[in-house]
This record gives sequence, C-alpha cells and structure tokens, in this order.
Amino acid sequence: MILTSPADLEKYRRDLSDRKTDLKMRVRVCAGTGCLAGGSKSVYEAFLKEAEKHGMKTGIDFAADKTGCHGFCENGPIVQIDPQNIFYQHVKSEDVPEIFEKTIIGGETIEKLLYRDQKTKKRCRNEENIPFYIHQKRIVLENCGHIDPADINDYIVKGGYGGLSKALFMKPEEIIEEIIRSELRGRGGGGFPTGIKWKSALEVKSDRKYVVANGDEGDPGAFMNRSLMEGDPHSIIEGMIIGAYATGSFEGHIYVRNEYPLALTNLNLALKKARDYGFLGKNILGSGFDFDIQITRGGGAFVCGESTALITSIEGFAGVPRVKYIRSTEKGLWDAPAVLNNVETWANIPKIILRGSDWYSDIGTENNTGTKVFSLVGKVKNSGLVEVPLGTTLRNIIFEIGGGVINNREFKAVQTGGPSGGCLPADKLDTPVDFDSLKKEGSMMGSGGIIVMDDHTCMVNVACYFIDFLAEECCGKCAPCREGLRAMQKLLHGLTSGKAKPGDTLLLRDIAEHVKETALCGLGQTAANPVLSTMKYFPEEYEEHEREGFCRAGVCPDMYSLEIDPELCTGCGACAKICPAEAISGEIKMVHNIDMSRCVTCGSCIDTCRFNAIDVVRRGKK
Amino acid sequence: MIEITIDGIKTEVLENTKILEAAKGLGIEIPTLCHHEALPPDGNCRVCQVEIYDREKKKGKLAIACMYPIRKPIDIFTDNEKVRDARKSVIRLHLNRCPQAKIIQDLAEEYGVEPLDERFVEENDDICIRCGRCVRACEALGNNCLSFSGRGWDREIVPPFNEPPEGCLGCAACAEVCPTGAIKVDEKDGFREIWGRKFRLAKCSRCNEYYATEEYLKKLNPDEIVEINLCPRCKKAEEAKRIGNIIQ
Repeated sequence: MILTSPADLEKYRRDLSDRKTDLKMRVRVCAGTGCLAGGSKSVYEAFLKEAEKHGMKTGIDFAADKTGCHGFCENGPIVQIDPQNIFYQHVKSEDVPEIFEKTIIGGETIEKLLYRDQKTKKRCRNEENIPFYIHQKRIVLENCGHIDPADINDYIVKGGYGGLSKALFMKPEEIIEEIIRSELRGRGGGGFPTGIKWKSALEVKSDRKYVVANGDEGDPGAFMNRSLMEGDPHSIIEGMIIGAYATGSFEGHIYVRNEYPLALTNLNLALKKARDYGFLGKNILGSGFDFDIQITRGGGAFVCGESTALITSIEGFAGVPRVKYIRSTEKGLWDAPAVLNNVETWANIPKIILRGSDWYSDIGTENNTGTKVFSLVGKVKNSGLVEVPLGTTLRNIIFEIGGGVINNREFKAVQTGGPSGGCLPADKLDTPVDFDSLKKEGSMMGSGGIIVMDDHTCMVNVACYFIDFLAEECCGKCAPCREGLRAMQKLLHGLTSGKAKPGDTLLLRDIAEHVKETALCGLGQTAANPVLSTMKYFPEEYEEHEREGFCRAGVCPDMYSLEIDPELCTGCGACAKICPAEAISGEIKMVHNIDMSRCVTCGSCIDTCRFNAIDVVRRGKK
Repeated sequence: MIEITIDGIKTEVLENTKILEAAKGLGIEIPTLCHHEALPPDGNCRVCQVEIYDREKKKGKLAIACMYPIRKPIDIFTDNEKVRDARKSVIRLHLNRCPQAKIIQDLAEEYGVEPLDERFVEENDDICIRCGRCVRACEALGNNCLSFSGRGWDREIVPPFNEPPEGCLGCAACAEVCPTGAIKVDEKDGFREIWGRKFRLAKCSRCNEYYATEEYLKKLNPDEIVEINLCPRCKKAEEAKRIGNIIQ
C-alpha cells in the first residue's frame, strides 16, 4: 500500500489509532539485546502459548509485541503490560502462566515481579515510579520499548512520519533554519552544529549529494546506537529522508557494524516497509521528491566510526582514515558532498520538525540543547540505557538514575566518551554532562558511554586496558598512532607489572602528548586521552606504580599485599570460599587471616567481601 | 591569489596550493618522507609538520604541509619551537621502528633526536616506514600489485597473498620511490629479481646495456620487437641527433 500524500498518511494514522484502542490488553516484551540474552524470546513465546491455552486470539483479544530495549537492562527480561502500564522485571518463562492468570485475566498485580526501590523499600508498579526512569527525559528513546520495531504501523500510530509530512510542506532552507535554531549538535561526539553542516552541504553545487548515518558504534560497553537501531529504526530513516530533502540528496547510506545482527534485520525490514508505504523511493508522499537508502555493513573495525574511514569503507576500500582538511559536506563520499550524522542525531530530526525548534532548544542548557542517550555501565547498580537532558550532572546520572556504586563501595572514577574519552574523579561529579564541560575537564562526552569505577579499580590498569584496545584497533596508517600507541602500551605494561624504570611516567606523558598533536585522524588525536586524564587526576597512582611497584587498588598482580581488618571482618567465610589458592583461613564468625605466601593476588576476595574488610597494603609491610 | 606569509616572508599563491609547494617556491625546505612529487599525497608519515596561524580565530595549530590546502590568508611557521618539537617526536617514533634506515638516522641527527631505549626496539633490521609510496607508485602505473595488509603495528606492505605477484612487470618503480631502500632489487647476468620473481632484462640496441625488463617493454609496446628498443639515455641521444640534423 502506497501512501500518496501527507493527507493520506494522516487518514491512515487515524484509522490505525481507532483500531489499536479497541485492543484491551497489550504485553510488551523487551527484545533488546540484553533481555534477549536473558531469555526474553522464550518469555514472548510463552505468552503466545498461554493465550492459545486460554482461547484468546493474538492480535484481536490481546496483543503481544516484541519491542526494543526498555533501558533497564540490569533487571531484564522486562515485560510491560498495557493499558495499566505494569512493569515486571526479571521475568522468566515460568512466570508467564501466573502473569496471564492474575494480571491479564484477573487484573491484579504480582508483587514479587515488581521493582523494589532500594531507598524506600517500596515496590514500584510502573515505570513512572521507578527512580531509574523518573530522572530521565526520553525523546530519542520515546518509542523504544513502546513499539514493535518490526511493525511500521506501531511507529505511525505514535506520530511516525509526521515530521516528514510537515517537512514536505517546507522549503529546504526553512527546514535547515529550524534545525539551526534548535541548536542540535552532532550526537556522535563531535558536537558540530547539525544545521550548519546541512547548510554548507546545501550551498555546494553538485549533481550528486549523499546523506550518511553512522551506526558503527564500537566503544567497549556502549549500546546506545545499537538499541536505537534495534528498537526504533524508522525514526532514523525518517530523519534521513528529511535531511536528504533539505540538502538536495537522492541517496542515503546507513553504516552498521556487522556485529549488530538484530539492528541489521530491523533496519532492513524498516527500509522495506518504508518503501512499501511510499516513504522511500520515487515521488515520496506525492511530493515529487525521490530518495532511497541502502545499508553498508561494517567489518568490525573500531576506526570505521571515524567519519573519513567510514566513508572510505562505504566506497569499498579498507576502512582507513583520510587527511581531513576539506569538509565532507564539500567533498565526502565518492568526492561528492556528504552529510554524515550519527544515527542518534538523525533520530532527533523528525521530533524537532514536528514539535518545533523552540520546544527542543528549551531542553538542556545553553549551547547544549536537547537530550543525550547514554549507556550506563560498570560498577553501577542500575546498568542500562539512559536518556537525560544535556547539562544533567554526572552525580545525578550515576547516583539518582544509576542508584550508586555496586555493594556500596566507594566511587572512584567515571570514564566517559569511550576509549578515547577520559576518567574523572569524585570531585568532578558535579560536572554537567554536555559537549563543552566534559571537554574542559579533560574528558569528552563522545557518543555516550559512561563507565563507573569503584575503589577496586587501578587507574593505570584502566589506561593500559584502553591503550591496548586502541593499539589493537589502530589502522596503522600514520606513524604517531601506529608507533606511539605501541610504545605507550609497553610503558603501561611495564608500570602494571612492576617493571617500570624511573622516568617512565614522564616518558609516557611525553609520547602521549605528542601523539595527540601529530596523529592523522580522530582516533589517534584522542588516543592519548585515557593516559593523560588518569595522569592528571590520579598522579599518585602512576608514581606508586613506577617508584614502589605498588598498586593501591589491589589490581595489578604481585604489586600489593592484603590484610584483613579485624574490626570489620565478620567471619562470614565468603572470602575463604572464593579464594582459588586456599590462602584464607579462619573459623566461621571469627576474624579470618590471609597467608601471603600462598596468595596469588587475584583480588577475588576484595570483590567478594561485603564489609570492605580486606585492605590493600604495600608489600613487605605487616 | 591568496596572500600568506611563510616564516615571515610574504608571498601570494593560488587557492588550494599546498603549503609544501608554497614553501618550496620560497626556497624553504620542509622535511618529508611519504611525499613524492609524482604521486598523490597521503599524509601518513607526519614529518612535514608546520604551524598555521589563523588570523581570524587568532589561533595557531599544527598541520601537515604536504596536504594542507591554502584557502585563506594565513601565517605559516616551518621552523619554530612547536614545529621542531612535533617533528622530533615523530622522527623518534620512526627511528624506533627503523633504527637502520639511513634517511631516518640523518633526520634524527639533524633534529638532535635521542632514540628510545632498547626496550622499545623490536625488529632491528626493519627499514620499511609504511609510507606506501611503493603502493601508490604501482597503482599509478596501473598495476596494483602491492597493498597494505594487517593493521596497527602489524601493518605491512605485501603483494597479494604475500606471494610473488603475477601482474608485476619488474619495473622496480616501487623500489625507485622507496625513501628508505626497503625494497630489494637484485640485478645479475641479465636478470632482475624483485618481490620473489625473476625477470629477463632487455639490452639497449645502441649502448648494449641492460635497461628494462622484457615484460615491461611488452606492456608499453605490445607490437614492437623488443630487441630494437633503446634505453632512455640513448633514445634521448638519438632524438637529439635527429633534431640536430633537421636544424642543419
């Protein structure tokens, strides 16, 4: 069925809405990657089976939808039930008969499946009561978890493609003006004003222009773009159509990493549906505008998230960056102008067009408008997908939304911006999260990874981990990055194994600073950040590693000794049980003891002890 | 024309002129490794660092001279402390990878670079700096017998599947453009060996010296008989003679 005009679309939307409200019960099972791994597929199937058992017709008496990520991954699989909007967590397929019996038929709530607020100890019936959601503002993720990404009708009912039909009545210049006024900045981390980028692409005369979406999310621990592509693919597509119309492009490319199979499936399905409905292809919604999108699958190289490497990869060459003195809006893909934005940037576009730039620029802070999606991971209680207005403080994200540090250990640092970002210590927790503030403190917002670290984290080891990652992912084209990362790797491995020479920290800083200055692409220019930021905020740890061979966090093997604090030890025996070397002994309910001659310094006891009774001390000291 | 200064000297250049070219026009030398006049620039060796000062933004930043296109009035510094410091660090890293490469040793001496200690040296006899001039030369000649493989530290230049390349004509342009002499060419008894292949060399019919591989000549003139060909020097001499006769 092809919709031939904006009016046609609006009529279709009204008909759909009427039909949908007739449905009494709707179960939304999270089929995001986290919940799928937790077994949500069998939960979904159990619902279908249970409906059959009760003689209910799926789609008529009741609907069960596989949706995108609900965000609260820590407590998956998540099931939400409409219209009451009941939020069940940790749902197993065995729970489904009871849910069907009690909630769907009986209308009651099952207490044990509700989330329990750790502060108030109260059970929360729906999303709106859970602290994890209360402090968020979901714009980009508005539909994620609420619609079935495989069903374009779900998207249309929620107002989907309304931005496009509005845009088709506007002149390209008007659309761009609206985006400029919204002050939207590139969500991939660059923070370049999107409207200005589009304007410069519009002004270039060329018979070919391209719009490109960057979905090559490669940061360890990040899954913002993934969840968006999996959970609400149409929002990205709609944004790209509007962008193409505004800049005069006829061809779009979405670059997705091959490691995201579900994102690929859902995007491909969404593209097909969009073509079937006349949102893509010739004469879109009867406007005379032609545009289509194709998908390019990345081969898994981290560097392909860098714009010029991504473009090189789409062109069919190995994904290696190019020197970028000329903007891609002038000479990008196949030497023609290309508007390259992150998928999250694209997903913001329809909402800005539909609700207006004033609405958007009221969210967030000055120069940093709108919201940003983050993946909150690490040693934080509520891991998951979080969307907050820009300018929200790190403290708010980690302690209000995230619920604080696991096991109530001491907060030590937060790493933002992916491997090329930086680590900030506790006294920077009140930094607002936006493009400029984090940069000022020596880190960056990047595409939105937030990794929380507790006191059992060695900052030198963290820097070593990220430099190892970057050295592995470095393309090897330019000398500073290729040779410099290797040298930095060697120095860091020396520091974390107690083999450092005097002056190594200084040498490391020297190399890091120069790599930052002289490397060719964004990866190389930011590769030194993990080293430079940990050095800036945790210099004492570098000093101890270099001079004393001591790791105060108790992470680097053979670089510390352990003692049990008799005041804090309760004699629970958990440490003795986990110790692989049988180095811990003691009677139950009596203070335990560690035999350092047997200890292999694996650190398991530190992680296990709930009373923080295991102290890291310098070696050779009693 | 755009008005710029290089090390304080005023000059005018056409839009999109590269800094390296503009500097050369003033007789200012900037060290390069991966750059070759006959090949497209790649900007990977990072040695030709210069500082550009943006008059509008009132800000200076490092750039590479071989690829930076001049598009507005700027001030360029090719030999200040920042530039020398950046070049030194890049040269130190090259020296660490290729301690035996003569051109790197010379640069290190010129810039007073102290090498990193022995912990960092891995392959003492590696003299390839991965600049890819050979790859670009082979591509420019239409043969495409070389490419990069691996990434990061393991990046290296190899023929397809690391086997003697089938399409290779033995022209040795790759070796000719290599800044460090990393590509081995052996010539003996009328044969040339390169990339694991052996090519028969053709003799110049005038001076009787070997001058090119037969494969190469066949590719240039598929119809002509190889034997009557002349080496570039003799061709020039013959041509000069011919023109001389016409003038007389």
